[in-house]
Amino acid sequence: MKEVFTMWKNTKMVVLTAICGAVYAAVLIPFKPIPLIPGFTEIRPASVLPVVFSLFFGPAGAWGSAFGNLIGDFFGTLGIGSIFGFFGNFLYGYLPCKVWSYLSPQTEPLINHPALWLKYIFTVLIASLGCAIPISWGIDWVGLIPFSVLANIIFLNNFFVSLILGPILLFTLYPRFKKWNLLYSQIGEITSEKTFLQNIGFIFILIGCFGGLLVGNLTSLGHFTGKIGINLIPLIFSLILGTILI
Amino acid sequence: MSIYLYLERNTFIHRLHPVTKIFLLLLFFILLLLFSSPLPIILVTFFLLLVSAFSRSISNLRKIWKLMFILFTFTIILWTIFLKNLNYALAMALRLNALIFTGLIFLSVTRIEEFTYGLNKLGLPFRVSFALTLAFRLVPSFILSAQTTIQAQKSRGLDLETGNLVQRIKKFIPLLIPILATSLRNAELLAIALECKGFGIKKKRTSYLDYKFGRNDFLTLLTIFLLYFLLLKIF
Repeated sequence: MKEVFTMWKNTKMVVLTAICGAVYAAVLIPFKPIPLIPGFTEIRPASVLPVVFSLFFGPAGAWGSAFGNLIGDFFGTLGIGSIFGFFGNFLYGYLPCKVWSYLSPQTEPLINHPALWLKYIFTVLIASLGCAIPISWGIDWVGLIPFSVLANIIFLNNFFVSLILGPILLFTLYPRFKKWNLLYSQIGEITSEKTFLQNIGFIFILIGCFGGLLVGNLTSLGHFTGKIGINLIPLIFSLILGTILI
Repeated sequence: MSIYLYLERNTFIHRLHPVTKIFLLLLFFILLLLFSSPLPIILVTFFLLLVSAFSRSISNLRKIWKLMFILFTFTIILWTIFLKNLNYALAMALRLNALIFTGLIFLSVTRIEEFTYGLNKLGLPFRVSFALTLAFRLVPSFILSAQTTIQAQKSRGLDLETGNLVQRIKKFIPLLIPILATSLRNAELLAIALECKGFGIKKKRTSYLDYKFGRNDFLTLLTIFLLYFLLLKIF
């Protein structure tokens, strides 16, 4: 995970972070959301951007996603949720590049083969859960919105939008960004060997994501005793630890 | 015209040190999270209304009252369904609105530069705060670019309102690709320009902005701690 901090030494990564953040915020605002249930849930086309940024720009995409979400909140919804939103969107922009490079080392982010499709679906699934669980845990913990409502909405929104739009954007934009020397693989160092710690990290991420969704929903719906804030702490810890190790 | 919520006023609250403003934001967040019954939250909301009146930022409340009303209604409905406790549901709905109101006042009295200056003073590295400021600065031009793209594609017959779920999501592709490509085209040039101007050469930087922590900051923080003391004593 050290690249998350060392990337700040590279000016191009600093600029990419700023641009990713600005584009994410800019697409969030004027693209009027398409309501599924008015006032309650909507499709956000911008949800695809953290995944795409992550696969193109690595840690700059992660910071950019977190900044972009924070900037979006500066248009009137700044609150305690912005802190959890920052963290959740950071994971949403960080997990795709890590999970993708873990599953397909040295593979370009182009989805042109059935096996790569499966890996992409799995990557997006983990990233969407990694975003939904900490945000919903925090929001439920401070008593604003029940976990089972928010987690499932964020997860499904992120997952389906990234699944439909992601491959097309990756396929169309990859050659251009490669030509402009903007890809993280052209700027930073990517290791291709899987270490023991990375394997452990991957398992921790799986436990945190799938366990978090299951335990969170069951607790929120009253099937488990206790509170979300307490019950999910070990699983959130597992997710964070996994993200550090992978 | 700025797209952000900052209001140019010369009030006592506007003149506070950026770090004081950030602390106030966090202190109000924590204060609101301490109570789970409606009455103390209503009292804090009244205090926030006073702050908003002092800072002459009530006009911003008119911009987001609809959003606050929707959130208030849905929070009550959701918590009543989940916990079957109307009192708790009301408290949570009030808390959510008070949190947003706190954020709104902060945004109305704090410039982006002040916000990042405050974060710098609290220990955020310069390169990180620079990226955040640059992102804030780029948003208006990217929004303009996004709106131009939307209008151009709509004039060519792109209909975003019809079709099933998948079709509607797919219609965003002709919008997202040009926006992303145009936004990122000059990234390398911008990085080169920054380095040519000596970006990051010296670790210690001077700043054009310079704020002093004064008596007003001290008195404001004292008032908030007094409010904490009173509310915790009563409730």
